[in-house]
Amino acid sequence: MSAPGSDRPVVLQLTDATIKFGGLTAVNQVSFELFQGDLFGLIGPNGAGKTTCFNLITGVYRPTSGKIAYQGNSIGGLPPNKICKLGIARTFQNIRLFGALSAIENVMVGGHLRDPSSLLSALSYFPRAIHETARLREQARELLRIVNLEDVAEVRSRDLPYGKQRRLEIARAMATGCNLILLDEPAAGMNPFEKEDLVKVVRRIRDEYQKTVLLIEHDMKFVMNLCERIVVLDHGEEIAQGPPEAIRNNPKVIEAYLGEAV
Amino acid sequence: MNLPIRLGSFLAAALFCWGIQTWAMGSLPFNLQRLIALAGLYVVLAVSLNLINGITGQFSIGHAAFYQVGAYLAGYFSIHNFNPQGMPPWLWLILMMILGALGASLAGLVVGLPSLRLRGDYLAIVTLGFGEIIRIFVQNTKELGGSYALDKIPKIQSLWLIWGLAIVCIAVCRNLLKTAHGLSFLAVREDEVASSAMGVNVTKVKVMAFVLGSGFAGAAGALLAHWETSITPQTFSMDVSFIILTMVVLGGTGSITGSVLAALVLFYLPEYLRNVSAISGSTLVAVTLSVITAVAVMKRLVDHYHRPMKQRVIAYLATIVGSAILGVVLNIAFRGVESLAKASFTGDKLRLVIFATTLIILMLLRPQGIFAHHEFSWDWVRRLFRRPAPTPGATS
Ligand SMILES: Nc1ncnc2c1ncn2[C@@H]1O[C@H](COP(=O)(O)OP(=O)(O)OP(=O)(O)O)[C@@H](O)[C@H]1O
Ligand SMILES: [Mg+2]
Repeated sequence: MSAPGSDRPVVLQLTDATIKFGGLTAVNQVSFELFQGDLFGLIGPNGAGKTTCFNLITGVYRPTSGKIAYQGNSIGGLPPNKICKLGIARTFQNIRLFGALSAIENVMVGGHLRDPSSLLSALSYFPRAIHETARLREQARELLRIVNLEDVAEVRSRDLPYGKQRRLEIARAMATGCNLILLDEPAAGMNPFEKEDLVKVVRRIRDEYQKTVLLIEHDMKFVMNLCERIVVLDHGEEIAQGPPEAIRNNPKVIEAYLGEAV
Repeated sequence: MNLPIRLGSFLAAALFCWGIQTWAMGSLPFNLQRLIALAGLYVVLAVSLNLINGITGQFSIGHAAFYQVGAYLAGYFSIHNFNPQGMPPWLWLILMMILGALGASLAGLVVGLPSLRLRGDYLAIVTLGFGEIIRIFVQNTKELGGSYALDKIPKIQSLWLIWGLAIVCIAVCRNLLKTAHGLSFLAVREDEVASSAMGVNVTKVKVMAFVLGSGFAGAAGALLAHWETSITPQTFSMDVSFIILTMVVLGGTGSITGSVLAALVLFYLPEYLRNVSAISGSTLVAVTLSVITAVAVMKRLVDHYHRPMKQRVIAYLATIVGSAILGVVLNIAFRGVESLAKASFTGDKLRLVIFATTLIILMLLRPQGIFAHHEFSWDWVRRLFRRPAPTPGATS
């Protein structure tokens, strides 16, 4: 298989990444590569190990074996906050917003890791902390605009409808100033209109903000429409990799999805 | 915040401290002065525990231990080193406050670091255990008075310093919440996994909050030691920890104003109850049980009994009458239990019963605390009485 995008630098590289939970091998020797600016899909039936892959990349779990490298440096085993600082941010399949905080505050938390003001200056309300907070608020407002949520900036995130919560998670991840963004089923629970909207948002994140995107999604139309390359997992194993057309016609993939129209 | 507002707040705070000092020290009897002092210390304790439990979402239930560390450390040091000619007493007291704060912070670091790294509520158990360890340590150290009092601590009573500390404690927490830094503390409370995925160093935030909160308790302890001049391990018993915890929960975890108000109410309420004549144990148990039953049944009715007005009113009345009868019957029944009938409850003992009952009722009626996560503001009060406005975009 030719390596598309090999003219661009490698952002993320999994080499035989494996994790076992007791007797269960949730991710088994999975290898793939993302290049800068990729729009990459990760698909597979329920329980295939997709979310677990995200958890490995973002440091929630330490791989049992294999290597995960970001921009050439191994990140396997680093804590999540360090990995986030390096430039990888994510959203969660089972939405994990900061429920009691407003939409804009959620996004500000995402931006806070680039905030140089100290705790002491926050406690004494020094101008530095105030300006930093104002700057983060401004930046957050901008990000809310990208995902079309500026009208609900002050609404408690718990009170937002599902589709908006999903988009808010994307804005919050963007706020970390990441280079690689991982989206775990961003379209789940959205209606067709919202999905169409989301396709535009994701494209924009890649084209306009130059992020590399790795996304998990069950909606095949959505994935095929959006992603340029796709990796397919089944029972923790990688069964196919390639552009959407090749994936669609791959007999192993069709079998894994039990003949569902892929 | 611009300079005039900042200066204004400083002035207002200074004026408040000065006012309370001259008014109380000038015209009030000693026991009332002491109540005002202790109330200020409880405000510090409640607000600082709120930083740990409410704002950062941890669960420390042994706050009195850090109060105790500060008190004994500063008290002991003061007994041996205070020189009235050396410096003005208030300056010495400030130094002792800092000493108490540093000692308690250090204790907080030692206790917090291992337990806060772990997920879950290990902190609760560890803080509880720490309180016991400190108590036993003090009881077995002759130097610190053992089971008796550590006394002859130099008497330096300063209401303005106590209330000044309370204001600083409130201001620090409020400042934190106004900045992006504070948002990361709240984020840790809301979701640790998501916080760390957003780059928040969860352990660091938790330890910071814990150390800071413990430090304020330690400073309060130093002030207490110099006010009372004599402290015993009982001054910092587990009851005190639970009272502080109750204040935080009652005020609404996370709400600074809630903690302040709850601290004042829960501190003063029992003081008024001192004048209540003694109640026998059987009456107390009967009243408590029937009140809780009444509230619980009432709550269910309000939530689930959707019938015409008349039927509902009958149900409510029946609940009240029923609980009253229950109370009378229980009273008669418990009078048969000799130990209960003989026990008599006044002031201090009654206070714990009232705390417990208040907590149970609160958990039934408003588990998020009176103020929930909100701060007291007139805008908030107005909103309470207005019909909730539909949130923009709630329909899509
Ligand atoms: N912490 C854990 N402990 C034990 N087993 C786990 C753990 N996390 C995931 N698993 C198991 O690993 C397997 C893969 O789970 P994962 O959540 O990655 O699936 P997925 O591909 O994201 O599925 P879905 O499409 O349903 O989200 C499942 O069998 C799951 O039960
Ligand atoms: Mg999943």
